[in-house]
Amino acid sequence: MIRLQALRKVFGQRVAVDGFDLHVPRGVVFGLLGHNGAGKSTTIGMLLGQVWPTAGEVRVCGHDVFSHRSQALARVGAIFETPVFYDYLSGWRNLEILGGYTAPSRPERIREVVAWVGLSGREQSPVRTYSHGMRARLALAQALLPAPELLILDEPTNGLDPEGIHEMRETIRRLHAELGLTILLSSHLLSEVQQLCTRIAVLHQARKVFDGSVADATRSRNRVRLRTDDFPTAVAALRRDGLITGHEGGEFVTLTDGIGPSTVVKRMVELGLPVHAIQPEEETLEGFYLSLVKHAAQSEPSQARR
Amino acid sequence: MFFLQLKYELWKLFGKKRTYIGFGAFLLVQNAVILMFRFTKATGAIRRALEGGGYPAEAFLTASTIATQVVIPVAFLLLPLYVALVGGDLVAKEAEDGTLRMILARPISRVRLLALKWLAGALFSVLLSLMLGLFGWLFASLWFPQGGLFAIQLETGPSAGFAVFGGAEGAWRYGAAHVLLATKAITIMGLAFLFSCFNMKPAAATILALSVMFVNAILMNIPWFADYKGWFITHHLNLWQWMFLQSPPLARMGESISLLVGFNLTFFAVGAAAFQVRDIKS
Repeated sequence: MIRLQALRKVFGQRVAVDGFDLHVPRGVVFGLLGHNGAGKSTTIGMLLGQVWPTAGEVRVCGHDVFSHRSQALARVGAIFETPVFYDYLSGWRNLEILGGYTAPSRPERIREVVAWVGLSGREQSPVRTYSHGMRARLALAQALLPAPELLILDEPTNGLDPEGIHEMRETIRRLHAELGLTILLSSHLLSEVQQLCTRIAVLHQARKVFDGSVADATRSRNRVRLRTDDFPTAVAALRRDGLITGHEGGEFVTLTDGIGPSTVVKRMVELGLPVHAIQPEEETLEGFYLSLVKHAAQSEPSQARR
Repeated sequence: MFFLQLKYELWKLFGKKRTYIGFGAFLLVQNAVILMFRFTKATGAIRRALEGGGYPAEAFLTASTIATQVVIPVAFLLLPLYVALVGGDLVAKEAEDGTLRMILARPISRVRLLALKWLAGALFSVLLSLMLGLFGWLFASLWFPQGGLFAIQLETGPSAGFAVFGGAEGAWRYGAAHVLLATKAITIMGLAFLFSCFNMKPAAATILALSVMFVNAILMNIPWFADYKGWFITHHLNLWQWMFLQSPPLARMGESISLLVGFNLTFFAVGAAAFQVRDIKS
């Protein structure tokens, strides 16, 4: 659905995005993470043909965004962090106008999306009378108007209260479940991304530092919970055999790189130690993100020397 | 599809209150000037000029004559201001408000979007020019009778003389002058639109366009540069006034119209090129 290849954008002396390769398959909810200025919004700008890449290729729905813009964006909807409209016009008029840049919108279709986002009854009121939450719903309605296959959400919960954030999260779930949309979600809220996304990419200082499934990101590769009758004996034996590098709390062991839980189980059985449970420890996305960013920051000085 | 999108652009333009500032200002200024003519001795100079030339003053102190006197200062000062205001807003205001990013998330090309916006601005300019003429004539008709048209020949200065026309000829010349005035309005709007395509505030685009016009007008009016009048865009923008000459210089008018078409195409092309390479960010 989205394919970025060696994407690079430089503003003056500042590199905003550097060598970004990305593949977002059809039907996933994909999270784009990164600190402020990491290059998320610039990447979204390039995806929508609003920002010209310095180098690289951007393909959306199988088409190059810059040479075949109309085909690439025909079935794409987008929401930006602060929903802005023609405040002096009604919600309905705004939908007609914004939808009209893709294709003329039939009144039945407008009624349908207005009902879907829960704005029925207020669509004829001027947008200046809308609350922030209603604007967010109108933004979603305009994005849904062309019956998109891909929805790009750039910080969609910015400025929303906790109820609004919850509502938006549920709406994204519905969009994916009921309409089967592919969704690219850029957000600072890591818990939200963890709940909604199946895959993520993390940008740090213009470069991609992770691209994979949320399950991979939240699974600690080395740390496992090991339940056995005699934990100290097991730890001593496993350490002697070089299968673990550490332990903590009478329940957790850190596996040596390249060693999987099955190897540990096999060795313990050989030693006659019972294994009641062995389970890779789940990490929060927040923990994963912070350690990733810390690691990236530590490796930067050595990269700079090179 | 193009005309439907043009309709949407017009909704946006005419849905804004500030679009009507020009119309409101015309109403106020025109009525003020007409009432000054009606209730002061300001018509005395026109009367003397007519009688000195052997014309019956009563036949030419008419609604058309007064409306023509009103349009001159309005077309010189107010019309450029309001069309530049709208032209400067067309792209820059949408960029400033953030709605441009919403639009450019759609599969519309930038050039097509600009063509729609320019066309909406041109329609506004035509409407404003025609309304200027219509309002002037309507309000003058409330206080002055219908009849012939007396017009000072501005081309070579008031001292150069005047022209008089019968009722029917005066009416069509008055109408034709306002149609040609639309070329001035469109060109100034187009210049502001050009600046609006760059990354700048709407007010900056408006001020830049007006500055270019004023600098042109200042240079053109320096007596020593009289031989180079044709080099200044403001000279060609005044072609509407030539409709009030006894014999309109049709060849010169054709030349000026051609040049204005060229200017407008250039403004659009430069604006479109600048807009095409711009990065649109929040």
